[in-house]
Amino acid sequence: MAEKSSNESKEQKLVGLLAQFDDPETLVHACNEARESGYIKMDAYSPFPVHGIDPAIGIKRSILPLIVLSIALGAVVLGMGLQLYANGQDTAWPFPGYKFLISGKPIFSIPANIPVTFEIIVLSSAFATFFGMWILNKLPRLSNPLHRVSRFKRVTNDKFFLLLESADEKFNRSGSESQLKGWGAVSIDEVNQDLTDNELPKWLTTVGILGAILLMLPPAAIFSQWGQTNRHPRLHVVPDMDWQHKSKTQTVAANLSNELDGVRMMYNDLRSARRPVDGAIALGSLDIDSELNYGIKSDFAYTITSGGNALTGVAGSQGEKKEDTGAITVPAEQENIEKYVTTFPENFELTQEVLDRGQQRFEIYCAACHGYAGAGNGLVNQRAMALAATGGATWTSARSLHDVDVKDDAKNPVGRIYDTITNGRNNMGPYKAQIPVNDRWAIVAYVKALQETGIQSDTPVVEDK
Amino acid sequence: MHETRPAKITSPIVSLSDGYVRTIPSALIVAAIGLVLSLILSGGTERFLYVYLTNFAFLLSICLGCLFFVIIMFLTRAGWSVTLRRIAELYAMCTLPLAILFLPILITVLSGSDVLYPWVNGGWSIHNSDGALAHLPADQLPPLEQLKAAFLSPGFFSVRWIAYFAVWGTLAAFFLFTSLRQDKEGGIQLTHRMQAIAAPALIVFAATVVFASFDLEMSLEPFWFSTMFPVYFFAGGVLSALATITLTALWLQRTGRVTDEITTEHYHDMGKLMFGFVVFWGYIAFSQFLLIWYANIPEETFWYDLRINKNGWKTLSYVLLIGHLFIPFLAMMGRTVRRNKNIMFGATIYLLVMHWLDHFWLVMPHYNHAPGGHVRGLATTSFLTMIGDVACTVAMVAAFIAIFCLVARTRPLVPLQDPRLGEALNHEVH
Repeated sequence: MAEKSSNESKEQKLVGLLAQFDDPETLVHACNEARESGYIKMDAYSPFPVHGIDPAIGIKRSILPLIVLSIALGAVVLGMGLQLYANGQDTAWPFPGYKFLISGKPIFSIPANIPVTFEIIVLSSAFATFFGMWILNKLPRLSNPLHRVSRFKRVTNDKFFLLLESADEKFNRSGSESQLKGWGAVSIDEVNQDLTDNELPKWLTTVGILGAILLMLPPAAIFSQWGQTNRHPRLHVVPDMDWQHKSKTQTVAANLSNELDGVRMMYNDLRSARRPVDGAIALGSLDIDSELNYGIKSDFAYTITSGGNALTGVAGSQGEKKEDTGAITVPAEQENIEKYVTTFPENFELTQEVLDRGQQRFEIYCAACHGYAGAGNGLVNQRAMALAATGGATWTSARSLHDVDVKDDAKNPVGRIYDTITNGRNNMGPYKAQIPVNDRWAIVAYVKALQETGIQSDTPVVEDK
Repeated sequence: MHETRPAKITSPIVSLSDGYVRTIPSALIVAAIGLVLSLILSGGTERFLYVYLTNFAFLLSICLGCLFFVIIMFLTRAGWSVTLRRIAELYAMCTLPLAILFLPILITVLSGSDVLYPWVNGGWSIHNSDGALAHLPADQLPPLEQLKAAFLSPGFFSVRWIAYFAVWGTLAAFFLFTSLRQDKEGGIQLTHRMQAIAAPALIVFAATVVFASFDLEMSLEPFWFSTMFPVYFFAGGVLSALATITLTALWLQRTGRVTDEITTEHYHDMGKLMFGFVVFWGYIAFSQFLLIWYANIPEETFWYDLRINKNGWKTLSYVLLIGHLFIPFLAMMGRTVRRNKNIMFGATIYLLVMHWLDHFWLVMPHYNHAPGGHVRGLATTSFLTMIGDVACTVAMVAAFIAIFCLVARTRPLVPLQDPRLGEALNHEVH
């Protein structure tokens, strides 16, 4: 509509001369002539790849392969490093990893890491190729002045073009034109760049702002519900995932028909999982060392043989823990103190690191009730006692670890402390599910250390810490 | 300045011409001497048969790779490779004469000797944990192995191999003779016919190669499971077929034949294909290894255990990993390398040596576990025995060259009137 007038009104800059040729041979010929005349800044355009055009316009080999190669090599380092960082090692800050033991494979093993590394190489190489090509070609471009030349439209059809850029040192408006004619150009056009071309169209700005606002609506809706309660049932976007046709562990499914949509729900004995083979022992649960695993002298342990595998148990270890009966303190059964080990087990090595670990575990699991100094005045205990005093609750105070009875090695040997942590005592619950064997012994060691230092039992918890 | 070449053959010599007459007798003499020498140095037929099997598998995989090359070029209607296709067609045709070289293996099986394959006598010969040999009758095998035992019988084995050679021979003959007919008659109809056959041919090819690789090399250890093995056999075969085609073309040009038709551009593209198949081989080799390594099931892992932890085979395993994958991967990446005929000449020979080692690695560990042989690993092999292995290899390769010369004779080494000849002659790598 306003093309003509706007062209005149806008500021123009000569980009170069665009010569049209009728066949690829003439184009290659012209390119060679131009190169030999000393032109450097030029480009050829054709509807299909023309043989020999690359050397004719003096294009050098692209550095893209080198870019891709170096990025791919970087990806090897990245891929391997990521896996080493994530689960190959177990150091403290700044790179704490997760040493996941998977199928008994080494924590960091090259074969297992190759697929991930390979995928990262492929992905990064693809990205390097794609975006490297864009960057090397100075893409994306919002406009190209060549498209203002109407003849140029046939470049995708049947015409061939050579552009001599005005930025070239050899370029000379009239001289270049006559040279092009001499090389067989059918027609020559001036290519002018509209300096306002590089500006964003106004409608694009409006659309962009509108789009950005629309995009912000969903997160805004989510943030508006932040911390709010809602009486509506939750939305089930993918019902198959929320109600999967599967049996869960330790359950008998309600539909005993065993079939749901053709999926067998469980085994014929109505279990949802197979029982282990008789005598099978789960990885890491072979506890034949009664001193280490139970804190009990081996003379008092018994061994049962089942299916060729030896299992060790400890007499009475199951019977000592009573049901939690709230306020009523169940008196401990007459127990045989003799059976507990009085020294740390052989297979437990006590070092400063282990002791520090013991302190850390103690402060996580024990200090809540027993207090950081073991005085029996942890926060939970204080609060519960305060509630109990007003009749709001019933509570038995946590023992102070500095009590004479508790400190006495004869009455409370380390094996018994270990057993207390493992199976609980009186109102204290068992911690064997939460704390692994070695950590329990580490806590025992820390408790003994606390008792030795003899911190006063009335030290306030907060100051103590 | 680039000019479009007319679709015409311009080389003065386009066939082996009378060269083949001189080559065949000397090659056959080398083959005969080599085989006798190898039999003597191997100290009996036992090791000799294993080395023979290694070489047979090596040569067969090359021929099958060439057949695949021909089929795939027609399937993709490729124009660039037309001038290289005849060499592949001739090598593919060598599959049929290779059946003669298969006879020693077939006779060993039919004579009831379980020297090579432990399944020959119905039951399987296996080694106890103390290394002593035991014979397990077929009805005492585990259930899955009983199914395998039904498949692995000398009679059915022979029938299958006749079928394989019939199928490969028919396919190779069809492509070679149709292509030769086109040399005389010209025209696009014959190309259309070969393109139409290419797709079903590829299916038949795949099915036969899968079972042939089971029979030839995997059944040396019939207890083992791997569905990846045929692909591994195929990947290595195509890689060495590409190397063989390139090497043959280079050799032909050095001796003044087909000088104009095969250009640097073709070597460049063959180099790319070889690079691709080096990666493919590594990918497949690793895929086979990773699944077995990860699942860690004894009936699969023992095959790798033998090659990694037993009798000095670990060295060869690492040689393959580095020499068959890493070195060619890095070396063949560059454009300069692919476009340099001298380097390509060395590279193709290197790849063929690696492929031979690959088959050695597949076959020979079972020799150490063969009846009568216990712990005879790579490290304990004597120098003279190794010379015997090399003699056998030289003999087999010489026999193979004789076969190629016999097949090629005075036939043109490039298609003379292929409709896509012009495209191939003007091929240019971008």
